[in-house]
Amino acid sequence: MVERANLKSSFSSAINSRADELERIARDILDHPESGYREFRTAKIVSDWFQTNGFEVKTGIGKTGVIATYDTGKPGPHISVMGELDSLIVPGHPHADSETNAAHACGHHAQIGSMLTVATGLMESSVKEALVGKVSFMATPAEEYIELAYRESLLEKGEIEFFGGKQEFIKLGFFNEVDIAMLTHTGGETSGTLGIGGSYNGMIGKTIQFIGKAAHAGGAPHLGVNALNAANIALAAIHAQRETFRDADTVRVHPIITRGGASVNLVPADVQMETYVRASNVPAILKTSEKVDRALRAGALATGAAVRIITNPGYLPTKYDDQLIEIYRHNAASLIGDENVIELNHSTGCTDMGDVSQIVPTIQPTANATSGNGHGIDYLVDNYDLAVIKAGKAMGMTVIDLLADDGSKGRKIAGAFKAPMTISEYLSRMRCFRSDVTFEE
Amino acid sequence: MPLSDLDSTRSLALRTIDGATRDIIAAAKTVYSIPETGFNEFKTSAYMQECLGSLGFNIETGIARTGMKAVLKGGKPGPTIAVIAELDSLRVPSHPGADPDTGAAHACGHHTQIGSLLGVATALSAPEIRESLAGNIAFIITPAEEFIEIQDRLALKASGELEFLSGKQEMIRLGTFDDVDMAMMVHTAAGKTDAVFSVGGTSNAHVSHQVRYTGVSAHAGGSPHKGVNALQAAMLANSAINSLRETFRESDVVRVHGIISNGGTSVNAVPSDVLYEGRVRAKSIEAIEPIAERVIRCYRAGALAMGARVEVQSVAGYHALIQNSLMQKTFADMAELVLGRDSVNIVDDSQTQGGSTDMGDLSTIVPVIHPYTNAAAGTGHGDDYLIEDYDRAVVAPAKVMSATVLTLLNDGAKVAKEVIANHKPAMTPEQYVTTQRNRFKTEVYEPS
Repeated sequence: MVERANLKSSFSSAINSRADELERIARDILDHPESGYREFRTAKIVSDWFQTNGFEVKTGIGKTGVIATYDTGKPGPHISVMGELDSLIVPGHPHADSETNAAHACGHHAQIGSMLTVATGLMESSVKEALVGKVSFMATPAEEYIELAYRESLLEKGEIEFFGGKQEFIKLGFFNEVDIAMLTHTGGETSGTLGIGGSYNGMIGKTIQFIGKAAHAGGAPHLGVNALNAANIALAAIHAQRETFRDADTVRVHPIITRGGASVNLVPADVQMETYVRASNVPAILKTSEKVDRALRAGALATGAAVRIITNPGYLPTKYDDQLIEIYRHNAASLIGDENVIELNHSTGCTDMGDVSQIVPTIQPTANATSGNGHGIDYLVDNYDLAVIKAGKAMGMTVIDLLADDGSKGRKIAGAFKAPMTISEYLSRMRCFRSDVTFEE
Repeated sequence: MPLSDLDSTRSLALRTIDGATRDIIAAAKTVYSIPETGFNEFKTSAYMQECLGSLGFNIETGIARTGMKAVLKGGKPGPTIAVIAELDSLRVPSHPGADPDTGAAHACGHHTQIGSLLGVATALSAPEIRESLAGNIAFIITPAEEFIEIQDRLALKASGELEFLSGKQEMIRLGTFDDVDMAMMVHTAAGKTDAVFSVGGTSNAHVSHQVRYTGVSAHAGGSPHKGVNALQAAMLANSAINSLRETFRESDVVRVHGIISNGGTSVNAVPSDVLYEGRVRAKSIEAIEPIAERVIRCYRAGALAMGARVEVQSVAGYHALIQNSLMQKTFADMAELVLGRDSVNIVDDSQTQGGSTDMGDLSTIVPVIHPYTNAAAGTGHGDDYLIEDYDRAVVAPAKVMSATVLTLLNDGAKVAKEVIANHKPAMTPEQYVTTQRNRFKTEVYEPS
């Protein structure tokens, strides 16, 4: 055990000497936000850094993703340490891009920092010598499930199949040999803590188009079919379902109207909506999705419009690995004290880490280093030491525990893991979620 | 001493009504005090039989449950003119004249029609006048003009007591109007104007929808996820219907309105049986059809949204009123003669207030008039609708209808025959009955 402590100490020292650089990279990404499947500059920063530091690097995975491999040259477990490349789109955020309104209002820039922190420490030669197996550093695109129309267009062009970056990584086979996965997200719990455990809802996404009939809204409204009214009725009908949602399912349905009519003196004939259907479990997602579809069809039926409903696979609910959490807890406590490691609750948001967690043992701790509301204009990382450095150290020390001693702990966790589904089962299930149906009744 | 001269018969009739003023107003007030809704007017009907009986009429009773008919034969053969009064009240529990048990109330002034009809019957049955008539008067007292309590009436229909749901509709079917060549009645109106009468105008046609949503009951607190909420379905349908309004053309005079007459059993159970009663009105049956079709889509949409079942029963309502212009002119002339110039406000034929009457149905088979006497205060069908001038409401219509009948049947019924000769009925009574039967339909929608 003394040897393990020495390893972790060498690992930490290597990081301490480069802490400024690591934080600076995170801040640079903050100031150059790019939304999902558009993260070209961010990806280049990541790939350049790894190349400069002597890693073997693959780029352009799932359009913008990057994988850098750390190989001890000895057989052993294969661990994925991840960071997400993409930003949100939040006009008004102090660090928003003035043209695109892209903004890191979810703290992903800090994840890149913490991922590079892990790599920085593991590069230390005494550490590398003591470990077995491999670590894949994965910078994944498009965790935020947004800009559905853009992603739909990428889908049509065959550039992607799934809207989430990690899903693309899974599809492309980059998880085929991964045994364990981890990523640290920023969080808004008690400042200065690291959060462990918790869970996230799963979801599916819908792109909806009501097709009516245009007519002069003043002169001849009786000749039109109002697609906006169809959407309004559908929204009210969706709300009428809410009393049937079970508390335990933590259902969330929250549509937006992305196109509400061409001009006010025309009866709207093309109205578009997007929505998610989220819940804590897949059966509840599917049942709620049916209810939402029925409500959408009712809007069309009432007005005589048609409705096209495109449903896309979203993310699966998370299932984090308890043994892995315990190893991480120990390392986090050694860095910031037992009392500052907190248990997370269920979150009704969603992440494509959920998909990863269904096929390999996974953890997604949070670095509670932010102020403001997640996805809001006031969401800022205010503690880079925690979000980048300590978060990276806690993950890296966990990697050391997993890969030291001939990788015995890593093997044990990988061996004990009962995957809810294989990768091929995962892919076929996700493909089943996709449908494109037009109702005219 | 037969009176052959119109002026003298008319002045005798007017004098007779003057002499009966107190009695006929009292009769109206008696009816006001015993309000009964359509097809339930047993007390009112019995009272009316007594009144007509005391004038010496033979009365055919029990027509369409509570209706009746008494024919006054003139001295010479000729056309038969119906003078009509409506027996029924509304149900307005907060009305000052409401029956405390049933909530029935004369908030539409039908009780004054009873008084007017008795005035006409008293005047024209005087032997000198009767002898002078070249034709007959049929006094027809009709049940159920207000198209309400549809579920109760459907139960009567189911038990074979009725086929159609209003008094005049049912009486047309039963042949009560087969010997009638033309018909008239006077209805009260609110908003006292200088003119006593408003003559002319039309009314809306309508259809009733009995919309029954069936969901699945469940504990509303404990297991709402197991329920299917039929009330949500009805409310969604109602708001969907509202979104159609922008497509209604003013020229169609569309009115769509509904009530939820059963909205759930108890608040802690997910409502599984909800009855929405809708009504679609427009200027004609033809104008109603495409709108009713779209309204029915909305009922179905409510069911689809919630996964409920819906049964939509369309109940044949009224036809639009078409008034006969020569009869109107005769009535207006008589009103000016009896009550002076400026006593009549002529309303354009196309003007409608949006309401409906089963005189519209009668107008599809015979020439009719349906003038209004401006004698009430308040809002029609409201709890403030009260007759504020019984002379206008009861006496003036009695006099002017009497004078109109005398004019129509004077001189070998010259004017009445002209009315008949120039009138092209929209349909025969048989066609009317078939049309109405076809308007009843039930469709069930069970979304998959």
